[in-house]
Amino acid sequence: MKPELVKGSRSNILARLVLIIAVVFALRLFYLQIIKHDHYVAQAQQEQVKRERLPATRGEIYAMSGDTPVKLVMNETVYTVFVDPAVIKDADKVIDVMKSVAGGNVRKDFEDMVKKKESRYQVIAYRLTRTQADKIKEKKLTGVGFQAVSQRVYPEGRLASQVLGFVNAEGAGNYGVEGFLNKQLAGKDGRLETVTDVSDVPLTVGGRNIREPAKNGDNLVLSIDRTIQSKIEDVARERAKKLGTDQLSIVVMNPNNGKVMGMANYPDFNPAEYYKVTDGNLFNNAAIAKNYEPGSTIKTFTMATAIDKGVARASDTFYNTDRIQVDDAKIENATKGKTGTITFQTAMNWSLNTGFVTLGQRLGNGSNITKTARDTMYDYFHNRFHLGQASGVELAAEAAGGIVSPDKQEGNEVRYANMTFGQGMDATALQVAAGFCAVVNGGNYYKPTVVNGVVEDGAYKANAEPQPVQKGVISADTSAQLRDMTQKARASAFSHVDKPGYTIGGKTGTSQVPKAGGYSDSETIASYVGFGGAEKPEYVIMVSMYGEGKVLQGAQHALPVFTEISNWMLDYLKIQPKG
Amino acid sequence: MSHTPTYYNSRRQQSFSRNQNTTRFQSAIKLGPVAHTVLVALMITVLGLIYVTQATRTTGYDYQAQKIDSQIAELNQQKSELEVESARLTALEAVKNSTVAREMVKPASTQYVSE
Repeated sequence: MKPELVKGSRSNILARLVLIIAVVFALRLFYLQIIKHDHYVAQAQQEQVKRERLPATRGEIYAMSGDTPVKLVMNETVYTVFVDPAVIKDADKVIDVMKSVAGGNVRKDFEDMVKKKESRYQVIAYRLTRTQADKIKEKKLTGVGFQAVSQRVYPEGRLASQVLGFVNAEGAGNYGVEGFLNKQLAGKDGRLETVTDVSDVPLTVGGRNIREPAKNGDNLVLSIDRTIQSKIEDVARERAKKLGTDQLSIVVMNPNNGKVMGMANYPDFNPAEYYKVTDGNLFNNAAIAKNYEPGSTIKTFTMATAIDKGVARASDTFYNTDRIQVDDAKIENATKGKTGTITFQTAMNWSLNTGFVTLGQRLGNGSNITKTARDTMYDYFHNRFHLGQASGVELAAEAAGGIVSPDKQEGNEVRYANMTFGQGMDATALQVAAGFCAVVNGGNYYKPTVVNGVVEDGAYKANAEPQPVQKGVISADTSAQLRDMTQKARASAFSHVDKPGYTIGGKTGTSQVPKAGGYSDSETIASYVGFGGAEKPEYVIMVSMYGEGKVLQGAQHALPVFTEISNWMLDYLKIQPKG
Repeated sequence: MSHTPTYYNSRRQQSFSRNQNTTRFQSAIKLGPVAHTVLVALMITVLGLIYVTQATRTTGYDYQAQKIDSQIAELNQQKSELEVESARLTALEAVKNSTVAREMVKPASTQYVSE
């Protein structure tokens, strides 16, 4: 007999009730598992899946030591110590341990922070080494935690600090190479999305784990030679202190490829302690960031323009009266007495302004610096020698300077007369050095560069040899004449200071400082740009210095700096004398 | 209740009268639907346990991998520290201030020998 529930019986009611509950359960489960499926899956993932940033390692920076890269900037893991005062059991013990292990790294008021019971998080020490951190961990102090952070470390100390720049607390490069090539050095962070356990250990369960490895930053090799850099920094420091200058810059370039072999400034800063610098100007690399009126060093450019245009040669003559009238302005020589009919070589030797204004006039109609002459000068100075515009060197905060176009009202005859001897225009020391390289190297302009290549997997990979960005800015013959002229100009008064058997040439510069609508007579910028080598120029050295309220002379103050470095360079580069 | 075994004569036995122990056993125990369900459930449970065991083993590897990763990170950090120390020791300033360098003298002049 088939058992049946009696209709209306309690069992029947119970069965129906169970059925209804089961249906309710089924509907609820359908709602939760089918309709709200995505919502709950997302919620579960939110709790179970951990998303982590895999930080890219910032690239290291190398300098050259001869042909071998050496490390200038590296990375180091250091530790920040924080406390949770609310859970600290023995505050005195924490203070004692911190004092004895991390005395120099604790914050001044860290004792108060440790005892601040109402707070849950206080940072009490920065930049602890791993050894220090391990010693503190051994003490098993309750309420003390560590956070590992990567920081830049400089094994060579202050060397090339303004070329390098620094990396701030947020990990961003500032100034120098760190600022300019920040993206390349920083690399790209990776990411990790995975199910983890309660201890945050990634587990391989689940099918949605994502692991994108970080792309580490490039390890850059600079063209800066460590030994040259050290030498010129020593010289800059000693000379600046001796002369009492506020600023002294030295640039050493290879004129045959545009590579910067050294770039030093006084004063500089310690990149490992950039946060202690109170004067922001110290971060600026004056050789690229400070515009100035270059003065008589520009006479080499004016001479090159005149020779290249075929309006003058070194042996050509002009009549010197020590003063020359241009429109409503009277221009005088700083050195007087070389009057009469003299050659342009003599004008170069004695740095006579009148000779170079005359060259400007010969670029025009012979008696005026006409619009045609101004156009020619602008073409050579700005478009060919790249003066008055950012060079594009791989260093942040480069100043452009400026040369007033002859198409503008301010680009009149008087301005261009001043420009023939380097006043009335703005340039940086690097621009003058790079332009001078083209003057003496045969007439090819190379973009200045501080990057030589990269280190990949421990191996140095050099960039392709730089090619001139502009060939034939002046002819090879003009360049040869300028080498000869600058050599004679130097030898005319300073032949005894150079090592015999080498070709050393250069030009002094003493420029007035524009102040309050005019030029100051009590402040000058001294500079010297020159080259050295045997059969061909092997290096170009640019020196500039300035001191507030100081009258500094190119020949008296800047030239000896060039000489000291030049004689040292001949030995360091193992350049054999001619013959 | 007794039952009689049914003997099975293989073809080989028929031909050669050997392999006399070859039999076809027919169990008298019949499995009902409940027993089948229980057995299937048991099999599923066993399979589930095997899966859980394997998954746990995989997780165990995760912990091992994590431990090795930590060791690699630790060793890399030590390597970096040694590299920094090495760079500091070979820095120009350190070399200049070394006792060997201090005893060196500057050459009075440089001579080049031409071939």
